[in-house]
Amino acid sequence: MNPERIYRRVAVFGGVYSNYLALEATLEDARQRDVEAIFCLGDMGAFGPHPDRVFPLLREAGVLAIQGNYDDSMAAGKEDCGCGYTDPRDNHFARISYEYTFKNTSAENKAWLGTLPKQRRIRLGKHRVLMCHGSPRTVNEFLWESTTPNGLLARFMRDFHTDAILCTHTGIKWQRILPDGKQVVNVGAIGRPENDGMTNVWYTVLTSGDDLHVEFAPVHYDHETLAREMEMEGLPPEFIETIRTGWWTTCLEILPAKERARGKH
Amino acid sequence: MTTPTVPFRHLATLWIQVTGTWCNLQCAHCINSSGPTDPWLKSLDTRTVKRYIHEAEDLGVKEIYFTGGEPFLHKDILELLAFSLAVAPTTVLTNGTKITEAVADSLADLARKSPYSLEIRVSVDDIDPDRNDRIRGKGALAKAVRAIRLLYARGLLPILTATEILQAEMPEGNGMYDRFRDFLLTQGIAKPRVKIIPVFPIGRMAQEGGGLLTEEMLRGYDFSLLQCTETRVVADGGVYCCPILAGLKEARLQERGLKESLTSCRLYHTACVTCYQTGMTCKNF
Repeated sequence: MNPERIYRRVAVFGGVYSNYLALEATLEDARQRDVEAIFCLGDMGAFGPHPDRVFPLLREAGVLAIQGNYDDSMAAGKEDCGCGYTDPRDNHFARISYEYTFKNTSAENKAWLGTLPKQRRIRLGKHRVLMCHGSPRTVNEFLWESTTPNGLLARFMRDFHTDAILCTHTGIKWQRILPDGKQVVNVGAIGRPENDGMTNVWYTVLTSGDDLHVEFAPVHYDHETLAREMEMEGLPPEFIETIRTGWWTTCLEILPAKERARGKH
Repeated sequence: MTTPTVPFRHLATLWIQVTGTWCNLQCAHCINSSGPTDPWLKSLDTRTVKRYIHEAEDLGVKEIYFTGGEPFLHKDILELLAFSLAVAPTTVLTNGTKITEAVADSLADLARKSPYSLEIRVSVDDIDPDRNDRIRGKGALAKAVRAIRLLYARGLLPILTATEILQAEMPEGNGMYDRFRDFLLTQGIAKPRVKIIPVFPIGRMAQEGGGLLTEEMLRGYDFSLLQCTETRVVADGGVYCCPILAGLKEARLQERGLKESLTSCRLYHTACVTCYQTGMTCKNF
């Protein structure tokens, strides 16, 4: 097994969802925070316009990415995104998004998605860190704050021999410190705002120390330009409304009660 | 012919058949023939339920579900929900008839105090009172809708859960899902949540001579689509492989311990074909 690389400070983001403007802004923000490496937890496509635009940005910045369910589906030419929705409304919008993204992503970029690892392990100082997309056991498992019990997280730490787990997939950030000091961080997503009425997105900066220090960093970007481009591409008005208002209008049915109650729709 | 088996993956959901088959309704399609008299499956006592919840926590359970029968007939249901919500996100499946203002207040209080989500699924089969009540009993729709409104007014977001039993009688146009959703919107439920489930050939809908799964049918099949790979049910008599088959002797895996029940189970029932064909899960999502 390769020894895990040891870092002092890293930036981690998830869920790009073709939002290349937010990606540019995130990379710029991370560079100014003295990070040694930038990681992406997957799902490059979906939701936004011109999916090919994110790939050169990721490569030029040397982003160390893993594969999300979307990336796996795109690379393998699957029929759907494998997002894990069960509700008809959620699946309706997921289908529109996947068809657009699949059609507008080059073969070269799809092949690149197929080369990404499923997970990564690093060390932040003394802390062993496992990066995954959904959960350590399933790529499209939703780890929402209100549906992820401490008993399950303790089990993950034991089964996967780690001190910290970083994940994404849900699109809403959260952090939990377990009684033994181990941590789980859902780093959120930079592709769409997190259903709080704000148009900015979020990523995470982690710094080593006695305790692992976690900072959620807001990213403001030119969301109006993105919205206009989405209109030009004929993407659903519901998607565009989310970019302009910060409230989710689609893929809402998968939200647990607490998270759903906080949103407008 | 050999009965196929399905491997176990991990314990994601624990179901607790807290009132056995004791219910104040007697629905025509009930999967376990629940009713008000002589339940064939007894309620679980409070201590037993807490013991199983503790064990499930150690095993890394992700979600806990209370079902029956009608869970709100259990004398300690609110205490049990509070206990469960301290451990994991918790869902209760109900016909809504016992949800008074006071009960709704208590549930809202429980939800507020827990870091985990409390989900309440209220069963309805149609928005037309005559058709619904033909399946579920006189006055059932009005009581269920009242429960949904009481819960929603307190910030809870109940999930209307319906079977497809009346699908053939639905008017042309919108599908069942949109019909329920639109109905909830007219009731002032601005965040309507709907789950539709198939009718199972079991309980009061049992059929003679239904088909069974074969190993041939399961060749190359993604077993993770079957909920019995990640769920267990505790009910009178022990631990069973899934919520649909709970209480049936052939589906029993253990008399006591949850941990010992995390093994492969047999897909022996015609109801297993329904899960196989529809990708059905009893989970919320």
